[in-house]
Amino acid sequence: MEYGIKRQSPAARITIGVVFNAILIIFSLTCIFPLLWMLMSSLKLKREFNASILSLPAAPSISNYITIMTNPDYHIWQSMFNSARTTFLSVFFIVFFGFIIGHILARVKFRGNRIVYYAMLLGMLIPIHSLLVPIYVVFNRTGLNDKWFTLIIPYVAFGMPISVFLVEGFVKSIPIALEEAAAIDGSSFSRTLFTIILPTCTPILTTIAIIQVFSCWNEFSFALVLMKSVNLQTVPLAMTQFSGQFASDYPKIMSAMLLTMSPIVILYFAFSKQIIKGMVAGAVKG
Amino acid sequence: MLQTIRPKGRVIFAYLLIPLAVYAFAVFVPLFTALYYSFFNWKGGPVKTFNGITNYVSLLHDRVFWESFGHNIYLIAACIIGQIGIAFLFVLMINSKTVKLKGIHRTFGFFPSTIAAVSIGFIWTMVYDYKRGIVNWFISSVLHISTNGAQFVWLNRPELVMLLISIPLMWQYIGYYMVIIISAVSSIDPSLFEAAEIDGASEWQRARHITLPMIKNTLLVCMTLCIAGNMKAFDHIYVMTSGGPGNSSMVMSLYGYKVSFTQMNMGYGSAISVGIFVLSLLIIVISQTALTRLTRESEV
Repeated sequence: MEYGIKRQSPAARITIGVVFNAILIIFSLTCIFPLLWMLMSSLKLKREFNASILSLPAAPSISNYITIMTNPDYHIWQSMFNSARTTFLSVFFIVFFGFIIGHILARVKFRGNRIVYYAMLLGMLIPIHSLLVPIYVVFNRTGLNDKWFTLIIPYVAFGMPISVFLVEGFVKSIPIALEEAAAIDGSSFSRTLFTIILPTCTPILTTIAIIQVFSCWNEFSFALVLMKSVNLQTVPLAMTQFSGQFASDYPKIMSAMLLTMSPIVILYFAFSKQIIKGMVAGAVKG
Repeated sequence: MLQTIRPKGRVIFAYLLIPLAVYAFAVFVPLFTALYYSFFNWKGGPVKTFNGITNYVSLLHDRVFWESFGHNIYLIAACIIGQIGIAFLFVLMINSKTVKLKGIHRTFGFFPSTIAAVSIGFIWTMVYDYKRGIVNWFISSVLHISTNGAQFVWLNRPELVMLLISIPLMWQYIGYYMVIIISAVSSIDPSLFEAAEIDGASEWQRARHITLPMIKNTLLVCMTLCIAGNMKAFDHIYVMTSGGPGNSSMVMSLYGYKVSFTQMNMGYGSAISVGIFVLSLLIIVISQTALTRLTRESEV
């Protein structure tokens, strides 16, 4: 531009500042609004909500929560327990397997090294949703569908590639002298792996765990095809059932959603810095 | 490497056996199963008859499947513009000196991406609801546009439904891409900006000629994530419209699901799965080569 040196007038500067701030504040509010709206509405009864959807509750009542928590037909606690168990075990195995394979790929030269590497790479490229129908067929045939451990198998398998590559990249950045010194001192491969490499890898393993906790807790489509029993449903699945039952009772649906979301929401706001950092690192490196 | 650290083959085998078995069982076995069953007419029961490539011939002529594929492409386009584009603009705003509350914008903006897509779908169904939805409330109570009691059923409009569905998808991940781009921008050497400022470059010029080229690789990663993410769109749409009205918001994976589980046409469903596999892989490979070539050219 010809007039590159020209400075903006103070008035223009202030206007731009106000507009920028306003846009970003509105955006941030929309991000947090659903949470507030659900909280507000969950304290209303159906009639009050239908009359005015956005007003503050006139007489806050927790009766919605009491209903969904105490009626065992809704399986709220059951589904949260199922989700917690599936998430915990899946994340554990993703981190554990990812650590072992990632380390072996980075450090051990053996004939199958490249084969394993390309198998993992393929796993990153495969559009997982094309497996939705066939995975049902396979699990149905082998009788593995609709068990308490069913979902752990695909979750671990789908989480493994990214976890392997994150660990592989990290291990390559650790000086190999560390392992050599341990080997000279007579430490076995396994002992070095778990007592020396594992603690060094804590940061990357935490990153992996963070990413996977969210994706396992929120996963829906594979749970949808693989699980049938109501008492084995994970949270997203239970929510679709629940909202079908109460199609017209929004406050009840909202209280159930808020309740089942709460672990993840609390986790997020308690550790938002670390979580954001971990997710971004995972996305960019993966 | 020292010979001493090299473990015995037996040890490696023992370590790799279980993880790789799980991996192969959940990834490769279904892939080949889909390929196998796609050559059969199979309704999920014990009877299945070999019918050669009939399924693939019908897939090629299946209007709904190709429409669904078109919808996936629509979502990709909408999200590249609506997520990465808007996120980039937001980053420029956040990095301008006048903006306050940067930490809050990061924390709040990122939040929706951590919520289950199913929940996002429900929330937006409520937003669009014809009787108690926020959109209609806004139209009647704030804008005072009288609808004569005939409220607008947003998600029932075939011509609008794709747009309405892509809004929650976009909104959910703007903050996510925003944070990724912020971290890329903050790793740019600040002396570059200072030098440009001294030379009299405007904020816009700095964004265009410094920020954009410096974060090109990150934008590339974002686009790849965006493309892969939208090829597997399923959860939101399952909750919000389940592909309807008609098939006007159908996407590929949802169509495969419906054919296999509501029509119980597992043979054809397997063929659709293979179709999704091939098309998604194709799109990813094409976009990768196109994007890398594009950036290489602009470097010259």
